[in-house]
Amino acid sequence: MDASAIAFYIFAAITVVASLGVVGQRNPMYSVMLLITSFGALAGLYVLLDAPFTAVTQIIIYAGAIMVLFLFVVMLLNVPREEPAPSGVLAALGPRGMQAATVLSLVLGLEIVWALSKVNRGWFAQDAAATSVSSVTLIGTTLFTRHAFAFEATSILILVAMVGAVVIARRER
Amino acid sequence: MSVDPQIVAQLGLIFVIFNMLVLSAAFMVWMERKVCAYIQDRVGPNRVGFEGVLQPFADVIKLMFKEQLRPKAADAVLFAIAPVISACAAFAAFSVIPFGTSTTVFGLLDEPIPLQVTDVNVAVLVIFAIASMGVYGIVLAGWSSNSKYSLLGALRSAAQMISYELSYGLALAAVIMLAGSLSLRDIVLNQSGTWWGFIPKWYVFLQPIGFFVYMVAGVAETNRAPFDFPEAEQELVAGYHTEYSSMSFALFFLAEYVNMVTVAAVATSLYLGGWLGPFLPDWLAWVWFLVKVFLILFFYVWMRWTLPRYRYDQLMEFGWKWLLPVGVLNLLATAALILWLG
Amino acid sequence: MIPLNHYLILSAILFAIGTTGVFLRRNLITMLLSVEIMLNAVNLTFVAVGRYLGTVDGQIITFFVMTVAAAEAAVGLALVISLFRHRETLNPDAFSSLKW
Repeated sequence: MDASAIAFYIFAAITVVASLGVVGQRNPMYSVMLLITSFGALAGLYVLLDAPFTAVTQIIIYAGAIMVLFLFVVMLLNVPREEPAPSGVLAALGPRGMQAATVLSLVLGLEIVWALSKVNRGWFAQDAAATSVSSVTLIGTTLFTRHAFAFEATSILILVAMVGAVVIARRER
Repeated sequence: MSVDPQIVAQLGLIFVIFNMLVLSAAFMVWMERKVCAYIQDRVGPNRVGFEGVLQPFADVIKLMFKEQLRPKAADAVLFAIAPVISACAAFAAFSVIPFGTSTTVFGLLDEPIPLQVTDVNVAVLVIFAIASMGVYGIVLAGWSSNSKYSLLGALRSAAQMISYELSYGLALAAVIMLAGSLSLRDIVLNQSGTWWGFIPKWYVFLQPIGFFVYMVAGVAETNRAPFDFPEAEQELVAGYHTEYSSMSFALFFLAEYVNMVTVAAVATSLYLGGWLGPFLPDWLAWVWFLVKVFLILFFYVWMRWTLPRYRYDQLMEFGWKWLLPVGVLNLLATAALILWLG
Repeated sequence: MIPLNHYLILSAILFAIGTTGVFLRRNLITMLLSVEIMLNAVNLTFVAVGRYLGTVDGQIITFFVMTVAAAEAAVGLALVISLFRHRETLNPDAFSSLKW
């Protein structure tokens, strides 16, 4: 096994374990911290995928901006922990609806894993994988030419979201 | 089993850089106390070693023997990891900063290794990313201490760091456009040469406003006076690290000084031509780097002991209503000039 | 080089974890965090497939997803704050005035 394979499995394990922790954790503060860990490991996976620019953006935007926002809200609300779950796996899952939800999400997971494992290397051009996709210049040029409209639309979206967030969160006077 | 000398040299370089950073933090503590003493017409530490240079080491030894306290209501896990996050984030940024040209360690190596831990092609963004991670150490310390002073310090610091990060990023973007590269080594090499034989082609002359925005944002990012709200002594005891003692306090202290060194080193690489300078041979170029970093750090200390602290609302107003628009205009003007002049 | 399938299966697992979180947790903040996990699973798929197709489009779509996630987090958290002001709880079952 070469170094990149070992790195892949380490990062993948960190991501999965941390994500499970996010979902399983009762204290929202820990959830946020575990999610940041998970994003860090994902950034590592992006580096392995020859996308260092995306990896850094992942850290800057996700871990450095969005998660700080979450952390801020958790601190601001000083959210009490949820009531501890009753003992026993079935009882911990709560009412029947949630038991069904657990089963359904497990089924969904299995389905996606099954479907994606059918993806075949043969579908892609054999030499395509050898092309380097790490060039920041190439990303910039493509972003501002072919995807220029989507880029502008996103900036409007951000503006609208910003105004909306301020209006919603403001205290009525 | 044979050991590749290149790898050994690389590991040695990392070891040297790490220790240089720790030592520079110790030196900064001493310099800060000395400079502040002279500014206030005092003598400053002068007992341990020559003119008190060993004072920081005495302080560290004292801190090591102090009791490690933890408030009863604190969150044990987060309380323990917060200083570690702070220190790691501070040190990590140095992995992409170039110190000089390359070296063969007096001919011991076949191929020269660059005086830099690693030269990634998105180095400037890596520094930006790591700077944005530093806020977690502070926020977690404040929250997990379960003390009102710590929490207020942490909230202030988070708001301040996020606000000034935007201006910081805009200043970086203008330099990136000029250099046409995200690698710090390329950016430094782009600044070689002179205009009319005597003015060095440093970006500080092309980007005076950008340099100003960067330095102000950098000071705010490192929570230093006149922007030291997270630890405003008169209002918040010590801010986010009020409840910390012993070595975990020392880690925060270390992180603060290493962050200053990082900001100074990045400013040197981006605006002051990094290791480039006249008179010295190539293999001594790193001396220029140290000199420039030292001057910026001296400026930092000088500013801290000269300027009074802003008020918090003034800080936010300055960041959002002045610094950010200036940064945006600087970016636009730079882009327009690059297009116009080719 | 790691086969593409490994990345895809990893992202499928992450997506399923995110879905489980949204279904199971009774805490608005954790539910939003679970949505972020799902978005990241999709991002991983884009970047991985883009890599194996030799194009940067996958990474570019990832940037759009990130901006949308930022907008979603801002508005979502604003909603959480204003809901918390009304009911002093984060349990979504408490906000059922419009349900009958």
